[in-house]
Amino acid sequence: MERIPYIAVLVVYAVVLLAHLLPSAVPAGLRERVRLVAGVGALLHLATLAEEAVFSTWSPGLPEALSACSLGVMTAYFFVAHGQQRALGILLAPLAMVALGTALVVPHATVSALDQTDGLNVWLPIHLALLFAGVAGFALSSAVGVLYLYVRDALKKKRFDRIGRLPSLESLDRIQFRSMLFGFIALTLGIGAGGALATASFQESWALDPKVLYTLAVWFWYFVALQARLILGRRGRWTANFSIVGFGAMVFSLIGLNFILASWHSYG
Amino acid sequence: MGDLIAVGLSHHTAPVEVRERMAMSEEAVRDRLERLRLEGAAEEAFIVSTCNRVEVYAVAQNIGLIEAWLGEHRGPGGEPIDRYLYWYRNEEAVKHLFRVASSLDSLVVGEPQILGQVKDAVRLAEESRSLGRVLGRLTRQTLSVAKRVRTETRIGEARVGVGNAGVDLALQIFGRLDDKRALLVGVGEMGQQVARAMVGAGLKELIVANRTYERSVECASEFGGTPIAWDRMIEYLGQVDVVITATGATKPIIQPDDVRRALRVRRYRPLFLVDLAVPRNIAPGVDDIDEAFLFNVDDLTHVMEQGKREREKAAAEADALVADEANRFMARLAEVEVGEHIGAITRRAETIRLEEIERTAKVLEQLDPKQRQAVEAMTKAMVKKLLHGQITHLRNAAREGDAEVIETLLKPWREDRG
Repeated sequence: MERIPYIAVLVVYAVVLLAHLLPSAVPAGLRERVRLVAGVGALLHLATLAEEAVFSTWSPGLPEALSACSLGVMTAYFFVAHGQQRALGILLAPLAMVALGTALVVPHATVSALDQTDGLNVWLPIHLALLFAGVAGFALSSAVGVLYLYVRDALKKKRFDRIGRLPSLESLDRIQFRSMLFGFIALTLGIGAGGALATASFQESWALDPKVLYTLAVWFWYFVALQARLILGRRGRWTANFSIVGFGAMVFSLIGLNFILASWHSYG
Repeated sequence: MGDLIAVGLSHHTAPVEVRERMAMSEEAVRDRLERLRLEGAAEEAFIVSTCNRVEVYAVAQNIGLIEAWLGEHRGPGGEPIDRYLYWYRNEEAVKHLFRVASSLDSLVVGEPQILGQVKDAVRLAEESRSLGRVLGRLTRQTLSVAKRVRTETRIGEARVGVGNAGVDLALQIFGRLDDKRALLVGVGEMGQQVARAMVGAGLKELIVANRTYERSVECASEFGGTPIAWDRMIEYLGQVDVVITATGATKPIIQPDDVRRALRVRRYRPLFLVDLAVPRNIAPGVDDIDEAFLFNVDDLTHVMEQGKREREKAAAEADALVADEANRFMARLAEVEVGEHIGAITRRAETIRLEEIERTAKVLEQLDPKQRQAVEAMTKAMVKKLLHGQITHLRNAAREGDAEVIETLLKPWREDRG
């Protein structure tokens, strides 16, 4: 990974976090344009990722996966952080920073299946882009889910002083549902694109790959969450809990699983 | 420049009978501004006239003419008006205007209308060409300070009363009320207060249920709502988003099972219940249900107390901000003014230098061009060095707002001009 542009991106994300965490430490002009700053950071991030993919001998592995997650989270923040969404910035900016920071320090390991992949296969970027868009949707949904549970708890316990300027329960619920739906659609298409990639590239059967099975389980988890909401009307706390557990499983899949199980997606 | 003064009366100092006598229409304000200027009472002026205050801001050498104009007015009992008036000068006047425009001096602190009224006053004064160097600068700064107060403190969010506490809670759950329906159960005073505030906040529909149907009709017509028969009240729980109870019933009239059924009908969209009755009308067990948010009269009191604390905190922050801005404004004003004096002093010194050069022209003619240039440069340097100390002192005094030092430093130049 090229370090310098990523460090620059990290600094921009840190400014976004600082503007939310300690508004008085940041000049007013910057504070008012924090969403724009995040957008510029995300664009720089995207450009660096794209530049690596196009101009260098690219072999995506764990650092690239983490970097793409970080980009996804920041993009999600850019699209929903209208007005004074301070809490959202405090939750999402550190998530993006941790993912990108980890990407910079973990040793590089390529996803093993890529050795067999034709580098020009068009399904590879589609598969990756859709999956990380899905991860971004789920990250946003779970971050908003945490906020939802927090505001709900404060209301139930009548601790009005804890709520401050946080958004209303219904708007948090709406964002967590929509971003989950977005993540689900992207994940579904991403899995499909992965299937197309495997069919085009590999000789062996890919359907029994442990990572594929695990991801299908995560997909099913979100499927249940969305069905519970769309058919039974179970929303709010239900969606938040499904979302938080689902994202935990997704993160585990991205980071932990590839090291534990021998799979086509394992690193190294 | 004359002093910057603010004189007026407001709800703090004068009863409505006095305020209404002083209140001025736009036409009267225009007329008065013109007369203040024509009669030489003020170099610059503008007038804020609302139902809660009438204030004149002016730059004047002598306040006698303004006093005379105000002296023409009498209170309702024929008493002189001056007992209701407050006068502020310079920094205090600036601070007062900043406080007024930021709604810190309003009857309901934080209300947003006053800024619009101040803007109207500025517009009228601009049209009457009665804003000059000082008040033009001051009014621009006032609008910017008011904006800062609104965005940097929570003064605008502060609201009072049990009704608004209910609205605040409803907004924390729903975010908006214009697509929500509420059921008012019982037509007690507190219940009506909350219902009124919700209707005021844009509630889509109010449904009223009371044991005596006639009273539901009466109350519903007052709020533009829909009356329903008492025995249909439970059935309606599934069709509304907000339930406000305020009946004299001695036992709970809404049970957890009623709410569970209603939530199933609502597909678990949150239900906000406000129980204002004592003894309570809604069984406390309702609050244990996932999507039901039940608040009683004590909870609303807590919301109000918290609102009050936040309002006080926001007002203190806003006051500190305003004081700091007023101080900076005066310092900037002094710097600008001193800057003009410095310009005049420099021009005067240059005139003196040229006069002296002129006087020795005959001698200088005997010098070659290079020598003449050297004399020119030398005299310029002398003047510059002689003035340097004074100018620095003037600038420092302006920055520190030390009018006495400024006056002492300017005195010889004024005498020189005189």
